[in-house]
Amino acid sequence: MKKLILARKLSQALFLLLFIYLLWLTPHTAAFFKIDPLISIFSLFSLIMLGATLIIGRFFCGWVCPLGTIIDVCGIKAKNRDTGFLRKVKYYVLGVIVIFAFLGIQIAWIFDPLVITARFISLNFIPSFTLALDKSFIFLIKSLNFYAPLYDFYRMLKLSILGTKIFYFPHSFITLSFFVIICGLAFATKRFWCRIICPLGAIYSIVAKFSILIRRVDKCVNCMKCKINCRMSAINEDMSYKKSECVLCMDCVYDCPVHSTRFVWPAKPAKPQAKDSITRKDFLFLIASSFLFLGFKGREEAAKKKLIRPPGVKNEHEFLNKCIRCGNCMKICPTNGLQPAIFESGLIGIWAPHLVPEIGYCEYNCNLCGNVCPTGAIPKLSLVQKQEQKLGTAFIDKFICLPWSQNKECIVCEEHCPVPSKAIKTYEEVIAGKKIRKPYVDISLCVGCGICQNKCPTRPERAIRVLP
Amino acid sequence: MGNRKEKKGMNKVSIFESLPKRKITRKGFLKLCGIGAGSLALNSALVKFAFGKEEVSTGRPGKKIKGLHDLVVAKGGDPYAMTVKAIEAMGGMGKFVRKNSTVLVKPNIGWDRSPEQAANTNPQVVGALVDLCFNSGAKRVNIFDRSCNDQKRCYKNSGIEKIAREKGANVYSPDDWNVVKAKFNYESPMKGWPIYRDALECDTFINVPILKHHSLAGLTISMKNLMGICSGNRGLIHFDIGTKLAHLTDFIKPDLNVIDAYRILKRNGPSGGNLADVVDMKTLIVGTDPVLCDAYSCVLMGQEPSSMSYIKQAVKYNIGKGEYTDIAKSDILTIEV
Repeated sequence: MKKLILARKLSQALFLLLFIYLLWLTPHTAAFFKIDPLISIFSLFSLIMLGATLIIGRFFCGWVCPLGTIIDVCGIKAKNRDTGFLRKVKYYVLGVIVIFAFLGIQIAWIFDPLVITARFISLNFIPSFTLALDKSFIFLIKSLNFYAPLYDFYRMLKLSILGTKIFYFPHSFITLSFFVIICGLAFATKRFWCRIICPLGAIYSIVAKFSILIRRVDKCVNCMKCKINCRMSAINEDMSYKKSECVLCMDCVYDCPVHSTRFVWPAKPAKPQAKDSITRKDFLFLIASSFLFLGFKGREEAAKKKLIRPPGVKNEHEFLNKCIRCGNCMKICPTNGLQPAIFESGLIGIWAPHLVPEIGYCEYNCNLCGNVCPTGAIPKLSLVQKQEQKLGTAFIDKFICLPWSQNKECIVCEEHCPVPSKAIKTYEEVIAGKKIRKPYVDISLCVGCGICQNKCPTRPERAIRVLP
Repeated sequence: MGNRKEKKGMNKVSIFESLPKRKITRKGFLKLCGIGAGSLALNSALVKFAFGKEEVSTGRPGKKIKGLHDLVVAKGGDPYAMTVKAIEAMGGMGKFVRKNSTVLVKPNIGWDRSPEQAANTNPQVVGALVDLCFNSGAKRVNIFDRSCNDQKRCYKNSGIEKIAREKGANVYSPDDWNVVKAKFNYESPMKGWPIYRDALECDTFINVPILKHHSLAGLTISMKNLMGICSGNRGLIHFDIGTKLAHLTDFIKPDLNVIDAYRILKRNGPSGGNLADVVDMKTLIVGTDPVLCDAYSCVLMGQEPSSMSYIKQAVKYNIGKGEYTDIAKSDILTIEV
């Protein structure tokens, strides 16, 4: 009975499911980011996590982290190699992130494991899962003629968990490939990402170096099994171990043929470990390498003019620095209108949310995106405040607009305009005995929600477009 | 377990060496191409079989049930009581709903607005109709509308989902894959338009619009409410809206029209949103002829029926009675609740 391993696996599965559940069904998606010291270092919960790490070690990586769980699953059959000094790379990564934070550029979003997992789940997993579920229901119902009661069940699902709209993110293959590469590294050696790159792991490993709980081997027979199997490559040749690397997976406890490996609370303070930290040379190398990321500092002014940001975002620079690209807002947006940017706002703006009115508009009576944002990049607004936010302004293309160019009656845009006194006005013109009402935009009233562009019937180009 | 892992660790064969060393021959290549093409064809056939069905319909056969009066107008009470009394005066719900039948109640749930903002049908009217249908022995009452705003939010904030569910009706979102193409015996701009199947496969169609201002159509009443059963790019219906709505009405032939005029949106319709534009009218109109109902509502709002393009077209195609003189001639019962 490998009780400890069973407990770890249960805990991993539980936290992974909890993570998916929070992202999928609730607006409380910010919960996981509050315990993440890389993102919210000063939140009470991340301090609690660091305190717990100081006592027992890197339990987060082994027992909680959803990305760690997925990487573990990917690495079940993988060969295990000794990665040696490469473990230092993660400290560089953390160092670069911290240096950039001082320079006023936030790049933690590239490397934070919780963000990576959340983004994958919101932009890839949930949309494809719901699509597959939806299509199989349609197949059963329509082709095999299973109408009631399966159809009623399907309809109930649609108004509850499945959603009336199957979400779609045109560029989600990029987030997918990013995630697949990270998990795929586990095929090279177990927990490749956690050993070598993860900056959150680096924070925990710095703290875990001073942790109290230790691994003790009483009667070693030098079989090397624990060293060969260690998923973090944390065990040295002499069967001592690097406390900062150990994620408490408990494998070595059961690998030991003489059952002499245990994790115990030491009676007396543990011996100071061999020096295994960053040297002066390393530090200079770190400073030098951080210039590699200067490409992230793009031309913000040019970028700002191109994209419609979520409601309440005022300062583009501040927004991009606060946004961790977790995808929560894009998951929660009821119309699917919030989409990850690619390079439209430069390298620094990659994956930050922007509104694409042709996919979905900003719902007038909705302020969910600000409510789920874990870092406040999208400000939390009351419904009344949000309705006053100006996202952009609508412009009518008279060469495409049906009443203007073809004398056809339309004004679908005016019909849908959610502003109570209608930001789109019309005036009547009699042409060839036919009364045609032609729309124009009252710029002082327009909030730029984009519903007019979304509902405009002209194809392929819409006759009314919202510009930021 | 440990042993196996150990062996794996020692194994130093690279990935490339472990690939099967098979030469590609001409025959093998052709075979591979054949298998690939075959599976692609099979795949597309399967997809077509699964999702590619298309059906055509010529519309609902009208029931042509006449009530005791052409129109019943209830005034002054709360929406629930007015609905019950008006239907009673019409001859009772049992006239329209048979035992064990399926009823579709089609309210206007187009907008993410509260009942006070008068952009959606009053939930009490819908609730009363659901109750009446079940009391007359209906097996199933379906309620749906294709909304303009987000479906879930509209259903929730209009209050209709809650009250109808409580009373046992099925409230659901229509599926764009479950449609039939409209077919007409005459030339029609609505030809081939996708219509939700459930709108046709019901025994009784009860149309429950709210009377309100509409920027293009003038007023949106029972004929305009039928747009909610259309799938597709609905913005295009707006061009030549009169003819399209008239033909759509002919296609559906609603059995009963219950017009909610409890609160009226006077300006900035159809979405509204400003309470200052809402007027209390406390009226409910019930009738079997949608055109006559619409014409009467126009008069009620102080407008000429012939100024509405869809009434004009409906009269032209002889779909219902909509002239000013028809209203004077018809049998209208007004009741105070």
